[in-house]
Amino acid sequence: MRIIVFVKQVPDTDKVSVDGEGRLVRSGAPAVMDAYSECALDMACGLAGDGDEVIAASMGPPGARAALLRCLELGAGEAFLICDPAFAGSDAHATATVLSAFAMEIAPGADLILCGKQASDGDTAEVPPELAEKLGAPQFCYVEDIRIEGGSMLLVQNYGDELRACRHPLGALAVASVSKGGANRRLPSVSAYLRAAAMEIKTVDAAALRLPEGAAGARGSKTRIASTMASGAGRRGEAVDGSDPALAASAILRGMAP
Amino acid sequence: MLRATPLGPESPYLGDESKMTGSASLLLSPECEADVIEAVRRARESGEPLTVSGMRTGMCGGCVPMGGAVLTMERMGGIRGIGRDGRGFFVRVGPAATIREINEALRSGAPLASATPGAAEEMPRGAYFYPVDPTELNGSIGGNIATNASGPRTLKYGPTRDWVRRVRLVMSDGSVLDVKRGDRRARGRVVSVPMGGGPVEVRLPSYEFNTRVKNTAGLMSADGMDLVDLFVGSEGTLGIITEADLYLAERHPLISNIFFFPSDADAYAFVRDLRGSSADPEFLEFLDSGSLDLIRGVRERDRGFTSMPDLPESARSAVFMDLEMDGRLAGKYREIGVLAERRSGSLDDSWCGHELRDRERFFGLRHSVPRTVFEYVAGLKRTVPGIHKMATDMSVPLDRLDEMVAANEAAMDAHGLERVTFGHIGNGHLHLEIILKDMRDMEEAKIAYRELAAKAIELGGSPSAEHGIGKMKREFLLMLYGEAGVEEMREVKRALDPAGVLSPGNMAGP
Repeated sequence: MRIIVFVKQVPDTDKVSVDGEGRLVRSGAPAVMDAYSECALDMACGLAGDGDEVIAASMGPPGARAALLRCLELGAGEAFLICDPAFAGSDAHATATVLSAFAMEIAPGADLILCGKQASDGDTAEVPPELAEKLGAPQFCYVEDIRIEGGSMLLVQNYGDELRACRHPLGALAVASVSKGGANRRLPSVSAYLRAAAMEIKTVDAAALRLPEGAAGARGSKTRIASTMASGAGRRGEAVDGSDPALAASAILRGMAP
Repeated sequence: MLRATPLGPESPYLGDESKMTGSASLLLSPECEADVIEAVRRARESGEPLTVSGMRTGMCGGCVPMGGAVLTMERMGGIRGIGRDGRGFFVRVGPAATIREINEALRSGAPLASATPGAAEEMPRGAYFYPVDPTELNGSIGGNIATNASGPRTLKYGPTRDWVRRVRLVMSDGSVLDVKRGDRRARGRVVSVPMGGGPVEVRLPSYEFNTRVKNTAGLMSADGMDLVDLFVGSEGTLGIITEADLYLAERHPLISNIFFFPSDADAYAFVRDLRGSSADPEFLEFLDSGSLDLIRGVRERDRGFTSMPDLPESARSAVFMDLEMDGRLAGKYREIGVLAERRSGSLDDSWCGHELRDRERFFGLRHSVPRTVFEYVAGLKRTVPGIHKMATDMSVPLDRLDEMVAANEAAMDAHGLERVTFGHIGNGHLHLEIILKDMRDMEEAKIAYRELAAKAIELGGSPSAEHGIGKMKREFLLMLYGEAGVEEMREVKRALDPAGVLSPGNMAGP
C-alpha cells in the first residue's frame, strides 16, 4: 500500500501572542507541524505494514523541511518539500491543485492520501475535499480511525453528533482528512532521529509537477482575503434534526433568516 | 501606593512550597521603590519586622513570616530594559519578574526598552536567553537572587550568582544601595557598604564558602569578594531587592533526550561513564525507579498528568540531557550509544525532541515528580496539619556521589521511610523526596535528614545545594560552620540591619 501524507507547517499557536490592538504577534513563534497533520502522519504510520510506503509531503517555504524531518523521525519512508516561488499566495483551491499534481506526477498509484482535517493557521478545512475532487477520488472527512479489514478499508468519520463507518475497496484511491490522534504526541528515539537526519528531503518545484503557469499561487487562487479583523460577535449554535432532510433544510433557512 | 491589608490565618502569604506556615498580621504590597522605603520606615517605627516575599515558591520557609508584616514584591515585576556592557547583553528587571516572563519577552517580538543606549535594537531578537533554570520558572527573580537559585543547567551555566550584574536594594535604614559587579570589592574580608548614615565596614565571615559544589548554605564569603555576592543568597536578611540586571547567554539550538535503563544502578553507572566522554550535555538529570512508578501511577488516574507518551514498561530509571545541535551531534550520539549499551540501554531505548514544544514536554516530565509530591503533601496537610514537605537538597563532589546514594538508601531503610530520588545527577546533587504518611514519618525524616546532611558535609559537599537555608535548615549552618561561623554571619546581619527588621529567622539571623 502506498500512503501519501500531506502535512503543513504552522506557527506554534501556543507561542503566538496578541498585541494591545488585537493583532497577532507571530515573530518569535516557532514553526511546527500542525497538530492535525501529525494525527494524519500517526495514522499513516500505524496503518503501514511491511512493504507499505509512507510518503510525507509538504507545500511550503524551505523552512517546512523541519516538519518533514519530523515526519521522517516518526516513521515516514520518504519526504518531499513542494516549494516554488510560484506557489506563494495559494488559497485552498490552488493548494489542492498543487497537491493533486504531486499525487499524480511524483507519487502516482497511491492507495490512500491523508491530510489533517484543517490547519490551525487557516482553519478552512477545504483542501482535502478539493484534493479529492481534483483526483476524482472519494473524500472522507473528519476521520478518526481507519482499519484494514479483508480487502477493504473501514474509515470511521466523526461528525460530532454521529459516527459514520464507511467501507472503501483497497486498491482504489481514497482521500481522508484526519481529525483525531493519540492522547499525546509521539516522540522519536535517538536512533530514529539519526536515521531521519541522514535521509534526503527531496524538493519538488512547479516544473516537476508539470503545472502550467498561473495554475498555482495568487493567480491560481479563487479567493482573495480583503481584510481580517477580530470578530466581536459570539456564536450561537443549534442542533438540527437531520432525519427529515426537508424539515432540516427549512430549519436551517429559518435560522439563517436575519 | 503602598497597599496594606490585614492577613487572616488561612492566607497563602503565611506559607510557601515547603508547606511550612507562619504568622503575620499585615500584608504590605508595594508597587514601586518609594513604597518599599515607606514599608521599611513603618517597620522601624513600629518595631514590627518585615518578611520579604516573592512568589512563595521557596522550599525552606524563607518567605514564611514569624510575626510582623509580609512585604510581598508581587506588584514590582516587569522587564525594564535591555542593556549591554563589556561582558555582553543584560536584562533589567523588577524583583517580581519570573524567568518564564523574561525568556518569553526575549524570545517574542514584543518591543523592549533600552537600559543602555541602543542595546535593545542591537540585540538580535530570539538570540539570547537567561540560562539559569531552577525548574520552578514561576518563582520571582528577586527570590532567585535572594537564594542564589540554581537547577539542572547549573552543570553548564553555574548558579544565579554568576549571572547577576547589578542589584538595587532598599536597606534596613531606608537608604537605597545600587551596586553593580566591579563597583565595590572587599579588602581581604572587609567590605565597605554605603548606607544612609555613611559607609559601614562589614567584616565577612572567616569560613571557607564551598564553591566546589552547588552551595547555598550561608552567606558567601571570600577574600576580595564583590559586594554584589554578599547580597546574592542572603535570603532577604540584608536588603530588599527592588531591581536587578541579569546577564544573558547566547541561545543555541538544543535537542532534549531521555535515555531509559533497566535499573537505577545502570543509570548511575552510565552517568559515571559519561563524565569522561565528549558528550558535553547542558545538564544531566535523573529519575529513579520510584519516580517512574510515581509518574505511571498518577497517569493511570489522570491521563493528562503529563503530555508525554506512556513510559516504556521496561524502563526502571531515566537520564535526561540536552545536547547542542551542532556538527558534532551525530558523533556525540555514537559515543553515548556505546556507553548506554554498556549499561543495558541503547539509542533505541530513548526519546528525543528538538521542537520547543517537545522540549517543554521533557521539562514537564522532569518537573512532574516534585509537583506530584508537593500536591500529595498539600493534600495530606488537611488531615495532618503539622506536616510539611521533606526533600533533601545535598550536593557532593561527583566522585563521592555513589557514597551519598548509598547513605541515602541506608538512611531511608533504617528509618522505614518511602522515597523517590531524582535530580541533578550531573552536579552530584540528587533530591530525595520523602513520601511522608504521618507525623511519625515526619519525625523520622527529620532525624534521617540530619544524618544525611552530616554525611554530605563529610563527603565535602553542602547540606543545602540550591534551596537555601530559610527557617527550616538553620541547624545545618551550625553543622557546617560551627557556632563561631554562625556568629560571624550574625555580625554581618547586625552591621547592616541592627534593628533586625528584615526577614527575621532566615539563615543565621535571630
